[in-house]
Amino acid sequence: MNTNSNVYTVVYTTVIVVLVAAILAVVSQSLKSRQEANEKADTISQMLTAAGFGTKAEFQQIGNAAVIAKYKEEIASAYTVDTDNQKINDLSIENAEIYTPAKLKKQNYLIKGMQEGQIELPVFEFKNGITVVPIYGAGLWGPIWGYIAFNQPVDGSITIKGAYFDHESETAGLGSKIKDDPQFQAEFVGEKPDFSQSNIFEIVKGGSPKNADNSEVIDNKIDAITGATMTSQGLDKAIDTWLSAYAKHFNAPCPVAEEVIAAAETEETKAEEE
Amino acid sequence: MDAKLKETIFNPIFKGNPITVLVLGICSSLAVTVTMKGALVMALSVIVVTGISSLILSLLRNTIPSRVRIIVQLVVVAMMVILVDQILKSFEATYAIDKQLSVYIGLIITNCIVMGRIEAFALGNKPIPSLLDGIANGAGYGMILLIVAFFRELLGSGTLFGFDILNRFGYVANNLVILPPFALILLGCIVWVQRSIQKDLQEK
Repeated sequence: MNTNSNVYTVVYTTVIVVLVAAILAVVSQSLKSRQEANEKADTISQMLTAAGFGTKAEFQQIGNAAVIAKYKEEIASAYTVDTDNQKINDLSIENAEIYTPAKLKKQNYLIKGMQEGQIELPVFEFKNGITVVPIYGAGLWGPIWGYIAFNQPVDGSITIKGAYFDHESETAGLGSKIKDDPQFQAEFVGEKPDFSQSNIFEIVKGGSPKNADNSEVIDNKIDAITGATMTSQGLDKAIDTWLSAYAKHFNAPCPVAEEVIAAAETEETKAEEE
Repeated sequence: MDAKLKETIFNPIFKGNPITVLVLGICSSLAVTVTMKGALVMALSVIVVTGISSLILSLLRNTIPSRVRIIVQLVVVAMMVILVDQILKSFEATYAIDKQLSVYIGLIITNCIVMGRIEAFALGNKPIPSLLDGIANGAGYGMILLIVAFFRELLGSGTLFGFDILNRFGYVANNLVILPPFALILLGCIVWVQRSIQKDLQEK
């Protein structure tokens, strides 16, 4: 048979491609539920890490079932609210219902007004008074997201208890530090987001100014990551955007919420144009 | 075992090692050698991909139209890489490592060892020798990966496979070792050692 004829070549490549596509589709479908279970446990362990119940490495060691059990043990209530702090839905604690990055992505579009629809912001309240909320945004190469834990508000102001961030494809060793560098995540502890200005939270060069005794001023600034300017800025914008949506929930009216989102959008269009 | 088959299996491990002699697959060998676990999973993934894609393409070798043979190779290799990635994501034990290796699993497809062995060997040989050639080349790659990872994890984190080895003796982890340039220095040392043992590799 002439394997170099045009008809043979076209038929051959078509058959190969269809065959490979079919194999991949079957495998992907049959493994989907397992992958989703892994992703869910991973997300829960990120929330628990942010809330200070342990470290990510510890949760990795104890396995999926134990992570979900720990979550069910510690969680007090989980629900979604809209930007006016009106409760929308309860999230099932029995099924450990949470918001995976795919769901956060949709909410991110809604918050920024890039899609029409009801905004549903998840809130996770733990028995020890810690509240965990997610953030989601754009890094340098792909999406970044994370979970920020807040202490119970004192005198109407909230402080950060902890944070954990994850990313899809930030540069290893630079942007990936938002996930891999515990020191960077530790910088968030004790900081106070400032809802009265458009920069609710700032990740900037130098971080907080120093007191006379060389301790850091408690404010809304932390030091950015050297060599990862775009990732730091992306995280800054993601936190600003999401916290402005949560402003009413934290009982801190944010007069500049719309301004924040508009600023984030122009920033992004600029980045796209470049 | 005849001499030719022996040559197929053992040549890529030392004399014709894909990393140190053919200088293929350098990029990933710098990127994934921070921990032994990561290097081991990467090595096994590459062995599976090179072995099975060589086998499949060797079985198909007489039917592939020569004008589109690179495309057909690419389709088969891509399928294997996606399969490996999907399977790693599905198990609790490997999910975290897959996340850590992130893009590098997907980038196995661009690893010159895979396509190189298919072009040079699998398309001209019977399936069983092709399978062995693929596995041997993957193993040669994996061996270097593990050697580099051994030194990087031991000196960079003071651990091996996550178990504390040096830290208990008050060892302070060396951050330079964690960074990619150190992997290149180590790789240079391995090439140096190999060339001084195997004189016929030295240029006159």
